[in-house]
Amino acid sequence: MVAFSLNGREVELEVDPETPLLWVLRDHLQLTGTRFGCGMGLCGACTVHLDGAAIRSCSTPLSMVAGRRVTTIEGLGGSHPLQHAWVEHNVPQCGYCQSGQIMSAAALLATNPQPDEESIRQAMSGNLCRCGTYHKVQQAILSAAAVAHWQPAAEDAS
Amino acid sequence: MNLTRRQFIRNVSVAGGALTLGFQLTGCSGKPLQLGSEADFQPNAFLRIEPDGTVILQVPKAEMGQGVITGMVTLVAEELEVHPSRIDYAMAPVHSAFGDPEMRLQITGGSASIRVYHEILRQVGASARETLVAAAMQQSGLDRASLEAREGRVRSVDGSVDLGYAELVPVARTLAVVGDVVLKPADQWRWIGRYDQRVDAVAKTDGSARFGMDASPEGCLTAVLLRCPWFDGAVESFEATEALALPGVVAVFATEFGVAVVAEGYWPARQAAGKVQVNFTPPGGGLRDSATISAALEAALDGEDFASVRDDPATAAAEQGERVSARYAVPFLAHAAMEPLNATCRLTADGCEVWVGSQAPDLARDVASRVLGVPRGAVVIHNQFLGGGFGRRAAADNVAEVVAIARELKRPVKLVWSREDDMRHDWYRPAMAGAIEARVHPDGRISHWQHRIAGPSINQQVLPVMMGAMLPQWIPGGPRQWVGDFVGKKDFASVEGSKELPYAFDGVSVSYCNVPVPIPLGYWRSVGHSHTAFVVESFVDELAHAAGMDPLAFRRQHLPESSRQRRVLDAVARAANWGNAPAGRFQGIAVHDSFHSCVAEVVEVSRIDGKVQLEHVYCAIDCGQVINPDIVRDQMIGGIVFALSAALHGEITLKDGAVEQSNYHDYPLLRQTDTPPMTVVLVDSSAPPTGVGEPGTPPAAPALANALFAATGERQRRLPLRLG
Repeated sequence: MVAFSLNGREVELEVDPETPLLWVLRDHLQLTGTRFGCGMGLCGACTVHLDGAAIRSCSTPLSMVAGRRVTTIEGLGGSHPLQHAWVEHNVPQCGYCQSGQIMSAAALLATNPQPDEESIRQAMSGNLCRCGTYHKVQQAILSAAAVAHWQPAAEDAS
Repeated sequence: MNLTRRQFIRNVSVAGGALTLGFQLTGCSGKPLQLGSEADFQPNAFLRIEPDGTVILQVPKAEMGQGVITGMVTLVAEELEVHPSRIDYAMAPVHSAFGDPEMRLQITGGSASIRVYHEILRQVGASARETLVAAAMQQSGLDRASLEAREGRVRSVDGSVDLGYAELVPVARTLAVVGDVVLKPADQWRWIGRYDQRVDAVAKTDGSARFGMDASPEGCLTAVLLRCPWFDGAVESFEATEALALPGVVAVFATEFGVAVVAEGYWPARQAAGKVQVNFTPPGGGLRDSATISAALEAALDGEDFASVRDDPATAAAEQGERVSARYAVPFLAHAAMEPLNATCRLTADGCEVWVGSQAPDLARDVASRVLGVPRGAVVIHNQFLGGGFGRRAAADNVAEVVAIARELKRPVKLVWSREDDMRHDWYRPAMAGAIEARVHPDGRISHWQHRIAGPSINQQVLPVMMGAMLPQWIPGGPRQWVGDFVGKKDFASVEGSKELPYAFDGVSVSYCNVPVPIPLGYWRSVGHSHTAFVVESFVDELAHAAGMDPLAFRRQHLPESSRQRRVLDAVARAANWGNAPAGRFQGIAVHDSFHSCVAEVVEVSRIDGKVQLEHVYCAIDCGQVINPDIVRDQMIGGIVFALSAALHGEITLKDGAVEQSNYHDYPLLRQTDTPPMTVVLVDSSAPPTGVGEPGTPPAAPALANALFAATGERQRRLPLRLG
């Protein structure tokens, strides 16, 4: 039995604790917004938050999240300033990597609410996008960071 | 897909008599199309309006990021007089009504969607609008001139009538559809050329977009497949005792495609697969290593076994001018879309259902029906969002596999490829080699351009498979392969972009030698243009330097004065401030036509202490009338990032017939930190719209190679390129 907090709600699972969090989310909890891309932590498509920090869920065993807080793209709630900025800037093309991009960006803004372009590039360099949306990702983060009233802790309030 | 390829496919399909020509609003051939309910107003196969006013567009093309849904919604919205954000969309089912009018398949490729459908979809919208207005005329007794459709309502000029489309549905559905419509003139457009909000953006930012990977019919199992590392092997034997003992494992069995490991979820399936020992039949003959393939391509260039695809004789004597020659080579490439291949299958009473993100759902249906041994009509394809396509998802090998696995099971099953499976079992962009020469005359004239191309033919492999879906299934594979072999001799996918050389040189010849390899080949964003543009535009640069001319001035001199090539060259040169790069910066330029569009790009690099770095990419495109400007810019930038990933890193190598790369560490892509700023110029045009999904890709590699030459003085003729 592994227990942890998922998007503000307590969950308990009878799952092999070695199972990567990605497959627990997708196969056991039907939270399919977190994507499988490479299985080796190379592409960032599976990025979620563990206690507010961005991690690669494909390489994080379930045992590691016991008793901790996990937030997925579904947990951002759809009205996170980054999600608004993503829509406003037409960031997604195929869209497959975008959950991971947004989760990496949200973790960045939580620790650095006013990042400059270089900090954004560095923080986002672990998230591959085959469609090449990198410029839009950068613009959307800059624009979300300019939303003054945003509270970085809001994502875990639910 | 260029015009030649489409024409060929059309000719084949017409000869086979399998498909009817022409655009049918109702899709009357084959099974009748049943979408929605009787109460809906459904003027044609593409559009229906429900009694509550919900407008739903059936999108006949796959959405793989290129923005086709937004483009099609914009076109329909313009004429229907409904705001684009108020139109819902669905992935169209497989039906003859949704077959591409040119390609005779329900296939998304060749950057053709908007070019082929722009007028059809405007007619779809206008026809629905006029029928709704006719309903309002009947309801109000007013004439056409007194009524106006706007914002989803029909109003009278005097304000006495104001009816929402929802209120008109019950009458409209009983009327004859108005087919004779006048399309709005461009000066009345509200959204075409302006609308810039992707309609799928919200679903792709809150995690709710459904990709093939997310399909999960009730009771669905997960399968992984152990494939032979080389491409001509089959399962000889396997040992799975240990795997079957693991928790969650349901079955392990051999199929014609490999050993399937089926479990309750991906992780137990993958863990168990690691415990299965498989013996495959040994590799056959043929070219099996990158080194031997490269040598074979070089040897082919030295030989005489070439088929001419263009031969314009020169007027100058052959021995005049200075002879310049060079050889170029490009490697195999993988598509490496972010969503690894997958497909889900549920058996039904008489056939099966398949959930898959496919560029060719009717090909997927054909393949599934053959594997299951049922008629095509017994297979239902549920097309999903594609987590990247780039040509890879025009193949249906994943569908064949999942059906072969589902056949042996009582529960639905999802087949998930690992990243390693995806990298090692792609349908690859072939390695190609080119020998090119020309004569440079003292006055700058060029004569005796001769381009010889050697490499494997994509269509020799792929056309027989595609034709399987276009022709009646009783036609056996032999004749289809014969057509593939015949086409392979002068494969248009090998020479496109070279054959159509736009420069006014005195004497142009292009020829091709097919060098077959036992490695699966496929369409890779921009197909033949992905390598011919590199060779042609690099060599044009070499000729400019041999003639002692500026590369832009040289190109302009040899292009017709009012040509599109000159327009985009001039536009990109202005944007890049060509010829005035800051100190330490160096520029390279290239121009290339593909998919009826014309794109010029300038790559700017810096060189500091011998270290070369990408600084900026400038791009200008003429794609006719732009529908959604922001999407066109994004397609250019995305196409350039795709090209630069290949130009700087892309190389699939083979050893003993197996691919050596496995994941993003040994097949790297450009990352956020590697991607330079870019500027895109959309050249004004009111000509009919042409392709944007692929045309941004071809000019980037030669523009970069030309910039590197400017920076270092070294001409690199082999991809991938080295920076410094």
